[in-house]
Order: sequence, then C-alpha cells, then structure tokens
Amino acid sequence: MPATFSGLCLGGLLLLLLCDRVSGERPPDPAMTTQDSNQTEVNSVTKMQSGHESSGLDPATEKLKPASKANTNVTEYEILLSGVPGAPVEKNISLPSPTKVELTCKLDENSNLKNPQVTWKKGSETVSHTTKTANSWSIELTISDSSHLGNYTCILKGDKEVSGIFRLQVPKIERKERPLITYEGDKAVMVCKIGYNPKNWTWYMTNGTELVSIDKILPAGKFQIMRQSASVSRLEILRLTKEDHGVYWCEAAFDLGPSKSRFEVRVLSIAEPLKPFIAVVAEVAILVTTIVLYEMYSKRKEKRGEKEFDQIEQLKSEDDSTSRRK
Amino acid sequence: MGLGSGVRSLHLHWLCIYLSQSFHNLLQRDPGCFQRLLQPACLDNIHHVCYHLRRSSTWHSCPIPLPARRLGAPRDPPGPARTRPDPPGPTRTRAPGEAPCPAMPAPAEAGLAPGPPDGGWGWMVLLGAFVSIGFAYAFPKGLAIFFKEIQTFFGTSYSEVAWISSIMLATTYGAGPISSILVNRYGSRPVVMFGGLLCGVGMISAAFCTSILQLYICVGFITGFGLALNLQPSVIIVGKYFLKRRPIANGLAMAGSPVMLCTLAPLNQFLFENFGWRGSFLILGAILLNCCVAGALFRPIGAHTAPSKTPATEEGKDALKGKISEDGPMEENKPEEEGGKDCFEKINQYLDFSLFKHRGFLIYLIGNVLMFLGFFAPIVFLAPYAKHTGIDEYSAALLLSLLAIVDMVARPATGVVANSKWVRPRIQYFFSFAITFNGACHLLCPLASGYTGLAVYAGFFGLAFGMVCAMLFETLMDLVGAARFTSAVGLVTIAECCTILLGPPIGGILIDTFGDYKYMFIKCGAVMVLAGTFLFIMNYYNYRMLAKEEKERKRKERKEEDTKSVRTENEGKRNWNKDSTQDGPELEPLREKGEGEKKEMNGAVEV
Repeated sequence: MPATFSGLCLGGLLLLLLCDRVSGERPPDPAMTTQDSNQTEVNSVTKMQSGHESSGLDPATEKLKPASKANTNVTEYEILLSGVPGAPVEKNISLPSPTKVELTCKLDENSNLKNPQVTWKKGSETVSHTTKTANSWSIELTISDSSHLGNYTCILKGDKEVSGIFRLQVPKIERKERPLITYEGDKAVMVCKIGYNPKNWTWYMTNGTELVSIDKILPAGKFQIMRQSASVSRLEILRLTKEDHGVYWCEAAFDLGPSKSRFEVRVLSIAEPLKPFIAVVAEVAILVTTIVLYEMYSKRKEKRGEKEFDQIEQLKSEDDSTSRRK
Repeated sequence: MGLGSGVRSLHLHWLCIYLSQSFHNLLQRDPGCFQRLLQPACLDNIHHVCYHLRRSSTWHSCPIPLPARRLGAPRDPPGPARTRPDPPGPTRTRAPGEAPCPAMPAPAEAGLAPGPPDGGWGWMVLLGAFVSIGFAYAFPKGLAIFFKEIQTFFGTSYSEVAWISSIMLATTYGAGPISSILVNRYGSRPVVMFGGLLCGVGMISAAFCTSILQLYICVGFITGFGLALNLQPSVIIVGKYFLKRRPIANGLAMAGSPVMLCTLAPLNQFLFENFGWRGSFLILGAILLNCCVAGALFRPIGAHTAPSKTPATEEGKDALKGKISEDGPMEENKPEEEGGKDCFEKINQYLDFSLFKHRGFLIYLIGNVLMFLGFFAPIVFLAPYAKHTGIDEYSAALLLSLLAIVDMVARPATGVVANSKWVRPRIQYFFSFAITFNGACHLLCPLASGYTGLAVYAGFFGLAFGMVCAMLFETLMDLVGAARFTSAVGLVTIAECCTILLGPPIGGILIDTFGDYKYMFIKCGAVMVLAGTFLFIMNYYNYRMLAKEEKERKRKERKEEDTKSVRTENEGKRNWNKDSTQDGPELEPLREKGEGEKKEMNGAVEV
C-alpha cells in the first residue's frame, strides 16, 4: 500500500494547501449543474450612487431640491427606456430600513418618442414628479414604513406608450422552493439566508391555519434555533416523527416589515427507499445468476463436445486397427 | 489424397472445412498452413482440427503452428519422409490432454492459439466494460447534485463538502497500482465483482452517516477504492479480448462515461427530489452493485478449461507469453528468473517496474502527466464561466449537456477512425493531434462571445475531449503490448493522480487572482498544446528507434539462420522471424502493409 498512501497523502496535503487559497464559493462541481448547486442567489439589486452618474446631476439634484438636507443620503435608481413599446421595464429594489429614494425614468436620446407626456403612479393614484433633464423625470420618496413600499410606475405617452416599474419591497430570503425530505429519527435542517441584517429572526410552524412561533413550544430539545450570523438563521428539528411533517416559516424582521420564506417538510419512513433498493438488488442477483448459469451451461456443452470428439477419435482408431487387420 | 486409412472420416470432415469459406481464405493466404494440415498425423485427426477451427471465432492465424518450436525442442521434419505403414494409432493410448497432431497445441491451449477473439463473447465483455467504466468516471461527477443539501445539513462550508469529490477522485486514481497487482494475481473478474460490492457497501453505509468525516470515509475512500477496482480491470480485459478491433472496442468502452453521466444526472435529481440525500445514497448503493453484473460478464479468456485452474493458468500463460515475446536477447534472463525469487522479483512479477526502462512508456507517462494539468479544469469551470458572462443557469447546464452528447458520439467515432488502416499504424500521432486540438480549443475560448460562441466551443470541446479519452488507453496498449498493460495502467494512473487533482485548484487560483476566466483557459490550452507537441516529437523519435532496432534484429537473425541447417521450410523461417517480436508496438508503421498484417496476426499469438 505504500504507493497509494503516499499518493493520497500528497494529494491531501496539496488539497489542504490549495483549498485554503481557493474561495469557498468555488465549487468543483462539473457537469449537470442544476438549480441546487447555485450558492447564493442575490436579488438583482443595483444601487447607483449619485456620484456614479455624470457629474452634472449632483448639482442638478441640489438645484431642484433645495429643501433636501445635506446630511441624508438619497439613493438614486434609474430605469432606461428605449422608446420601443412592449412590456414595461422592471426594477426590483430591496429596502431593509427607512431611507430616501429618488426614482428616475430616462428616455434614450435616440428613441423615436419625442416630447412625451409623463405620469408617475403608485397603484392608481398619481404622484407628482419633477423633470430632471430634457429626457429624464424623477420622483423623490421618503420611505419610512411599509405603506410607502409598493410599485411605482412611470408612463411615457407619445404616439406610443412606454413604461417602467420600480418595485420597492423588503429584502427577500434567498431560497428555492423545494420540499425538504427527511426520515423518521433523523433531523431536519432549515436555513434562511438574506443579503441584509434583519433585526431578528422568528420561526413559525403551521398548526391548522395559524402560525405558531416555535419559541413558544415547550418540549425543549426538539427544536434548535441557531443564529449563525446576522444574516443567517438555522432551525433544526430533532428526533423527527411522522407528525412533524407540514409547513414551516422563517421570518426576518426589518424596520419596514417582515420577510418570510416557506418550508415544506416531509417525513418518510425507512421503508420508502427500501423498496426500490430491494428491487435493484434483486435485479442484480438475477442477472448475476443468469450469467453464471449460462456460463456453466456453455462450458458443459463444450466439454460434451470435446468428449464426443475424443470418442470419435477412439472409434476411428479402432476402425483403423480393424481395417488394417483386415 | 491416396492415404488409405481413415479416408472415410477424412471425407466427412473435409466437408466441414470446405463449407467454411474463411478457412479456405486462410489456407490460400498461408500456404504453409495448408502444407502442415496435410501431414498424415494431422489428417488422421482432421476432425479434431475441425473442432478447434469451429470453436475459435477468428480464422486469422493457422491453428496448426509451426513444428519448429522456439523453446528448443527439435522435431522431425514433416512431409513425405513420414510414410510409415503402421500409423501409431491403435497401439498408443492417448492421454486426454495430449496433442493428437504433433504440431497441434493441446486442447487446453487451443483456445489461445487463435488469439483474442475480436468478437463473440467479447461484445458482452465490452458491454460490461461500458457499464463499469461509465460508473467509474461519471459517478463522482453525478454526486455534485447532493452537495448543497449535505452542506446545509452538516453546516459545513462548500469546500469541505467538495473534498468528498476530491477524495473519491484521488482514491480512484491512486489505487491504480493495487488494482493492477490484484488483476495480475487473480484476473479481472473477481476484482471487478469485489469492487462493485465495495462501492455498494460504501454508498449504503454513507446513507447512515452522521458527520462529514464519516462521509469522507464511506463515499470518499470506500466507494472510491471500489471504483478503482472497477476501472482498471475493465480496461485491461478489453485489451485481452480484442486485437484487430481494439481501437473500436476502446472507443465504445470509454463511451460509457458520457452515457452514464447523462443517465445519472437526471436520475440523481429525481432520486433527490423524492427520497432526499439519504434515500438517494441508499438506492445509488444498490445501483452501483450493477458493477458486479458487469464483472460477472468478464469471463477469463481461455476459461473453457477447468475453471479451478483458470487463475493459475492465466497467470502462467501471461508469464509464458511475456517470456516468449521477449526472446532472443532476453534468453539469458530465464535461468535467473527460474532461480531464487527474492522480494523484488516477486513484486516485479505482480507489478512490472521494469516498465520504467521502456522508452515508449516513459514518453506516454510524461506526456500524459503534463496533459492532465489542463484537462479537467475547463469542464469544471465551464458553467461558472457561462454564468459569469451573464448566461442564465439553465442555459449553462445545457452547454454541459451539449458537451456530453458530442462526447458520447465522438468516442466510438474516434475508435472507428483509429482502427482504419491509415491511422492505426500511426495512432500515436493521432493521439498527439487530438491533444493539440483540445488545447487549441481552449486557447480560442476567450474569443467566443455570447451564447452561440460558447455553444460552438462546447461542441468542439466535446469532440476533442472524446477523441482524447477514447484513445487514452489504446495508445498505452499499443506502446507496451497487452501483456504488460496491466502493470502499465496502474503505474500511469497513480502518476496522473497528482496532476488531475492539481488542475482545477490551479485554475481556481488563476481565476481568483486575476478575476478573469480567460487566464485559466489560456493556461489549460498552453499546457495541452505543449503536451501534444511533446508527444508528437517524442513518438516520431520512438518510431524511428523502433524501426532501427527491428532492422538490427533482422540482420542478426539472418546471420544466425545462415549458420543453421536448412531443414526448416522458408515459410517457417519467415514466420519465426515475425513471431519473435520485441516488446514494442505490435504494429510498426514503417513495415509494408502485407507484412504488417501478418505480423499483427502473429502478434495475436503472443497475447
């Protein structure tokens, strides 16, 4: 074994040295990556700070809004419209805490739409806007509670109509909706991860139609909630039984409201995977037996064939001797 | 014929021969065979000849070998001098194993005289090898689907979970020499069946693991070792069952890898969604037991003799053939080997370390070790690269599927091309070309823009990857011959183990340092082009050296024959020359085609 051991040692050492360098997010999973191998799903959030735009805008903002205080940071978001009619251009904006935002709809200079009529709406009511430049219009909002969140639409009407939608919402928990399959006696692990730091995390289990907070459930040692970091929370359900199946929720509390994610837990007994297992083992046994039996049969046929020829040989040599004697 | 005795049975049995067109062609091709068949002793037992001819599935070489045996037994010349009035038949009690025809091999060895069957049961063996090799290569890749869930379950980082795959790969390649030793000792069949059992046990126990360390042991070491015991013997036995069609056989066997990957990936996804990772591991353990079925198909060649003797006789035959193929200058080694066997000799019997003095083997080793540095990294990073350029996840996965499908078709196609009469003598050049083509693809990848460009790259990459993989073992067999291939493959895989494991992490470091994928592609492309060029130049040198050695040997032998008596026929002399080949490639490109064909047929006798 020395060859293997040194090979393995070397491989292990090298891996140790190199894995430290390689970032944890680098998966060596080749072929057939499916939805599950994606590490982090960050919502498409783009923040364009005021300094990112052309320098002319900053003084422009200041000019248009002399009342805005110099201390508060106004985050600017922009949608670029091409002037081609079709589905509205959307932008999702996650806001974890109260802030001031400026939403701008900018029309492409090369578009065919000239001097459109601009309306900004939240839901069905119109919001007053300002004209930033010749072809961009914006509204400024102070988001201080959940009622200010929602969809803000800018509609540019000329001979054609184009629109853009800003969806202001609390941050979403990064997860794919998939049932969690566990086994009796095993543990179930649910992890909620989010891109921002919530104030706190709460886990609920569904009892009929109402949500019951897990903190309040008494048998200690059945549930374990761990806050692995500010943005990650982990629930473990130990010693699973069939009654533990159902829907669980994890909730991240933000100033502007909660963000929830749903988990469906299914508890299976050992017998379930055992059935296909036994089927495959039976198939293997049958195939091996068939092959061995066929081989023994064909060997026997060959031996019989050889014996026949030996007999023919014997007969022939007797034939020869008798014919010679004659 | 006018031979008198036995005319009746003679007529009866000539019928069987005349009915066979192939045997007719053989007799026309090899008139010496016909002459030997007309010996009275053989004609007396023509039914026995018939029997052996019918049983062998090839008609390439004469079943009646030459009377002048190299091991020194002098023989009476056949021909008209043997007309004796009393044939020895009635007075002689023939032992069952004794050859009825003086120049005919005993029934025990008769199955070997025609050489590798190149068909018949060989196709079933190929099916088994297809399954076995498929599992060995595709299974570690297919496990990646479970890693995220395992990471969540055990609360570890991704790199810790990725170690499972690395340990599995390291064990599969690192246990190569052990596999070779076991095959040399016991033959392919028991090793593969044990390997399949080990894989199954490993995965089944992995289903009940409670920590990541236990997963390392169960999935990484045990299953990895089982897969190693699957991989080597399958490749070895393909080489034992095929000679003329060996490149096709290799291409088809290696095609198992992409086919299994395409099957395992959706299967794993389905199992995971319905049974979670524990249930999936349990069922995958049962599925891996199918390797035992593949192993059951690996009938030891020459096994129509008593089965209890098979492993010993196989080993003995291998050793015997090994000696025969290295005759001439190596005659003086024989008394040494038959003398006292110390530990080194024993090890050498099981794992042939003298391969390190073999020029072709060293060239292959160095070229391949270099190549593997850049071989696997692009596959690992293709999907992340696609996502990096803005392509969504499903399309990125589709790229890999495209790669696998092109790969699946490319491998048997390459086998067919490599088997053609233009390529087979120069198969080493073809291999170097495939590697260089692969490298060129990687170098051009950064120029690919958008999804179409990447799809084109994936298509060409699949083609190149398939070409290289299909010929990976074929070229090694071609260089060292099937007798020493068992040890060669073990030594090569453990040497490749290091670079295979280093390749993706080095690529990862390049990507992290420069923040751009193109440097990784450039590195892989450059390494492979370098390896391909190295192999091309060194193989050109190797072919020339072999041609020179062959000329030397011929000159020496002609001198020897001039001093001997002229009792052996001319055909016998020519055939003897061809039989005593060196341990180089079985087909030499610089020979004429006719000679080459004959040499190949007689090369079959050695295997």
